[in-house]
Amino acid sequence: MTTLCLKNGQIFDPINKIFNKKKDIYIKDGKIVEKLNEKISETINCKNKIIMPGAIDLHTHIGGGKVNIARLMLQEFHNNSDRDYDLTADFIPSTLKTGLQYIKMGYTSCFEPAVLPINARQSHSEMADTPFIDKGGYALLGNDDFLLDLISRGAHQSEINDYVAFILKATQCIGIKVVNPGGINAFKFNQRALNVDENSVRYKITPRKIVRLLARAVYELGVPHPLHVHCSNLGVPGNFKSTIETIKAAEGLPVHITHIQFHSYGNNGDRNFSSASAEITDYINKIPNLTCDVGQVLFGQTATMSGDSMKQHANHSHAHPDKWLCMDIECEAGCGVVPFKYTDQSFVNALQWAIGLETFLLTEDPDKIFLTTDHPNGAPFTSYPHLIKLLMDKSFRDNLLDQLSVDISKHTILKDIKREYTLSEIATMTRSAPARILGLRNKGSLSKEADADITIYDSNIKDVEEMFASPTHVIKDGVVVVKDGEIKNYTWGKTQVVKPEYDATIEKKLKKYFDKYHTIALPNYSISNDEMSEVIGSDINEVKCNRKRIS
Amino acid sequence: MSKISDSLNLKNIVCPFCSLHCDDLEIDVHDNKLYVKSNVPKSCAFKYEKLNLPKFKDMVTTVKGKPCEPKKAYQYSRQLIKKSKETVLLNSSSDVNVTREVLSAASKVNAIVDHVNSSIFLKNISIYQRRGYMATSLTEIKNKSDVIIVFSNNLFETYPRLMEKFLATKNSFSVNSKKKEIYVIGKKVKNTKDCNIRDKRITYIDFNNRNITKLINSFISKKNESSISNKIFNKLLASIETSKYLSVLWATSEFDSYKECDEIIYNISAYVVSLNKTSRAACLSLSGNDGDVSFSQTLGWMTGFPSRIKFTGNFFEYDRDANNAIQLINSGNSDLVIHLNPISEKKLVLNKKNKNIVIGRPCTKFNIEPDVFISCGIPGIDFKGHIFRTDNVVSLPLTSLRMSHNRSTQEILREILK
Repeated sequence: MTTLCLKNGQIFDPINKIFNKKKDIYIKDGKIVEKLNEKISETINCKNKIIMPGAIDLHTHIGGGKVNIARLMLQEFHNNSDRDYDLTADFIPSTLKTGLQYIKMGYTSCFEPAVLPINARQSHSEMADTPFIDKGGYALLGNDDFLLDLISRGAHQSEINDYVAFILKATQCIGIKVVNPGGINAFKFNQRALNVDENSVRYKITPRKIVRLLARAVYELGVPHPLHVHCSNLGVPGNFKSTIETIKAAEGLPVHITHIQFHSYGNNGDRNFSSASAEITDYINKIPNLTCDVGQVLFGQTATMSGDSMKQHANHSHAHPDKWLCMDIECEAGCGVVPFKYTDQSFVNALQWAIGLETFLLTEDPDKIFLTTDHPNGAPFTSYPHLIKLLMDKSFRDNLLDQLSVDISKHTILKDIKREYTLSEIATMTRSAPARILGLRNKGSLSKEADADITIYDSNIKDVEEMFASPTHVIKDGVVVVKDGEIKNYTWGKTQVVKPEYDATIEKKLKKYFDKYHTIALPNYSISNDEMSEVIGSDINEVKCNRKRIS
Repeated sequence: MSKISDSLNLKNIVCPFCSLHCDDLEIDVHDNKLYVKSNVPKSCAFKYEKLNLPKFKDMVTTVKGKPCEPKKAYQYSRQLIKKSKETVLLNSSSDVNVTREVLSAASKVNAIVDHVNSSIFLKNISIYQRRGYMATSLTEIKNKSDVIIVFSNNLFETYPRLMEKFLATKNSFSVNSKKKEIYVIGKKVKNTKDCNIRDKRITYIDFNNRNITKLINSFISKKNESSISNKIFNKLLASIETSKYLSVLWATSEFDSYKECDEIIYNISAYVVSLNKTSRAACLSLSGNDGDVSFSQTLGWMTGFPSRIKFTGNFFEYDRDANNAIQLINSGNSDLVIHLNPISEKKLVLNKKNKNIVIGRPCTKFNIEPDVFISCGIPGIDFKGHIFRTDNVVSLPLTSLRMSHNRSTQEILREILK
C-alpha cells in the first residue's frame, strides 16, 4: 500500500470548480482519497506549487502504420544531438520517447485518433510500448466498403449502430472517427474531390449522410465521445463553408470537429487564402453540442500523416523533403504521409499559425476547445508549452506576429484580440474538458476516488512556457514517476476502451462479407481482452457508456 | 492451449510460415498432434504435419554439438556472452513479441541487432525514403484491381496461395472478378503439384526480369523495345491504359542478386506513381517470409529504424553499414552471434570465425555445428504471438495449438541473460 500527501499546494481542479485554492491532496493505492488514516509513505511539500490533474491529449498520432511509415521514411531527422533517450526526431518519436516526453510535460493520458480497424493490433502494440501514459484510440469508419454498402442499400439506423458497436469492441477503441467522409473511398475509384453534398461515384451517397448516420450511431449507443470528425476538403482554401455544412450534418447531435484550424480557411484576398476563424468560432460558440480541437501550426519541420489519402495525394507536391507515401488499405480507408516544413516566410503557413490562435482566442468556452497541434501534423506535441504561452501572453504573441518574415497583419485580427487565457482556462482545456468529452470519469479531476494522475508545477517560474515544460513532479496512478525532471519510476498505463451493446446478428452479416470479400477471417479481425493483455501487452479499462442504448 | 489428451478442431488458424499468413486453416489436434483439414497446398499442410515427429517437438539443447541438459546450455551461453566484446543478435525469423524481447536483450548486453533479410527490406523502404510511393494491400487488390501485374520467377513456390486466395479470386466486391486480367511476368512457370496455374484470367509472359526497366520504358514510350512479342506487349499495354485500378506486385528478394535491383524497383514504383495523375494504380512489394516485416515494423516503432542498430549503455545508434551483421561476421569483427530462428525452416549460415549461439525451432539446420543450440517453441504452433502480413498493414494473431516441451524464445533470451 502506497500513501502520498501533497501538502500546501495551490489547486486547479476545474471539475470541482476549484481554482487556485490551497488544499492538501491525499493518495492511496493509486486513487485520490479524502484523508489518510494510516501512516503517510511520502509527503511532498507543495508550497509555491501549482497542482493540476494530469493533462490529457485527445488527438495525437502516437501509434499505427502511418506513424511508423513516417519514422522509417524520415530517418535523416533522427539526429537528436542531446543523446537523450534515443535519436528519434521530436515530430516522429519512438514509442519510448513519446512516453518519456509526454510524462515529463505532465501529460498522463493520450489518444491516437486514427486507428484503422485492420491495423488496430499495430496501433495498440505501439501504444502498449509507450510507457507511463494511459492511452486509447478512435476507430476509423465512414470510408469502409462494408458501411458504405450498408448505407447505399438503405440500412436502418439500428443496423449501423450494431456495426459501429461491433467495431468498437473488435478494435478495443474508445471512440469513432470519420476522416474525409466517403472521400478516401471515392479516391480509390479515382474521384479527386468530394464535397459535403456531392454523391460518391461508386456508392451514390454524400459525406453529409455519412456524418449524420455515424453521429447518430455514436449518440444512440451512448458512447461518451461524440463522433470525431475530420471534415471534407482538408486544407482547401474556402473550406470553412464545408466545415460548417459538416457541423450541420450532425443535426444537433454531439460532434467533435478535429484540427479545425485546417478547416477554417476562406478564399478571399489577392492570394485567395484568408482566415475564416470568425465564422467558425461563431458556430462553436453558439452550438451547444459542438466541441473541437485546434491542430495549431507552429513553424518548423514536421511530417503530415493522415488517413485522408485523397487530400494527402493531392498535396504531395508540397512535400519537404520531396518524398511521400500514400496507401489504399484493406477496403477500409487509406493513409498518406507527406513531410512538411512550416515556415514563417510562407504567407499561407504564417496565416495558418494565426488562424489557429484566432480560433483558440475567439472560442469563449474552454470546455469546448482542446489544445492540440494534431501531433505531428501542425507541430510536435513537445511544443505545447510554447503554445500555452502564446495563449496566455498577448505581448509575447504580438511580438512573434511582428517578427514573422511575411507581413500578415492585414489578414489577421490576432492583434485586436486582447484575451489572455488564465491558468484555470488552461487547466480546463487540457484536463477536465477532454476527460469529460471522453467519458473518463476518473481522470482530469482531483475528486475523491479519481485516478491519482497529477502534475505539480513550480509557481515561482514566471515564464509559463518554462513552467509547463518542466513540472516538478508527475504522479501516475499514485506513483511519483517524474521528480525535478528526472524519471523516478517506470509505469505502464492502461488502454481505455468502450463497449456498447449490440445485436450479434451483425456478426453473421459481417462473417458473410468477410468470407466472400475479405482476405482474413472475422475472428482474427477482432482483438480480445486476453490478446490485449497477454500478447499486445496492455491491460484495458472499460469506460462506461453514457446510458443504455437507444433502440 | 490444449491439453495433451484433448481432441480439438480449431478453425481460422493463422499460418506463421509464409508472409501471406493465411488465416483460414482448419486444424485437428489429437494427442498433441496437428492435422491440417483445410484444402490447402500439400507444401503448406506439410509444414504443420511434420511437426508431429518427436524430433520437432522435444526440447533439444547442445553444447558444441553434444546433447546436454538445458542448464548447461544456458550456463555456457552466459559465459560466451560475458566474454564477448562484440555481440550480434541476428534475427532469421520472428514475430512481434520475439522482436520486442530481442531489443530488450540487446540493450542489456550492448549488442548489435540485425535481420538476415535487412539488405532486401532496406531496399523496399528506400523507395519511399527517396521518392514518392503508391502502395496497396491484399484486400484492396482482391476487390478493386481489374488489372494485376506480378513480376516473379517463382511465385508459386514462394507464395503457394497468393494466386488462389488473393489475386485470381472467385469474388471481388467492386470489379467483375471473371474479367480480371492478371499478368505473371518472369521465368516460364512450371506446373506444380500444389498450385493450379491454369486460369483463363492469367497470362504468363516469359521474360527476363533483369530487363524490367526496359519494359517500363516501353510502356512509357508506347514503343515495344522489350523481348516480349508485340502482340502480347500491346495487350498488356492496353490493359494498363484501360485499367481502373492497376496493382503491380514483385518480390525484391528475387531481384536482390541483380545489379539492377534498385533501378528496377524504383522504375516500377515511379511508373505506378505517374499513372495516378489520371487513373488509379498502386504497388505491393511482397516480402516478410522470415518475419522481416514484423521485425522492421517493431524496430521502427521502438527505435525509429528498421534494423542495424547498436546499443551502447542506455543509448543506441543506427548505422546501415557499420551494423551490417553479415559483413561484421564475414570480416571477423564480431566474436559472438546469437541467432534467433523460431519460425523459419531455412538452413542457418553460421561462420566459424565467431562463437554461435542458436535459439531456433527444433531441427533447425546449420552449415556448421553451433557452440550452443537451444530449441525453442514456434510462435503460432507452441505459443501465442502476432505477426505482420506481407502488405505491412495487417497483423494477425498467432495461436498456441499444442502443449510444447520447448520454451519460448523470449524466455530463453531472458534465461541466458540472467
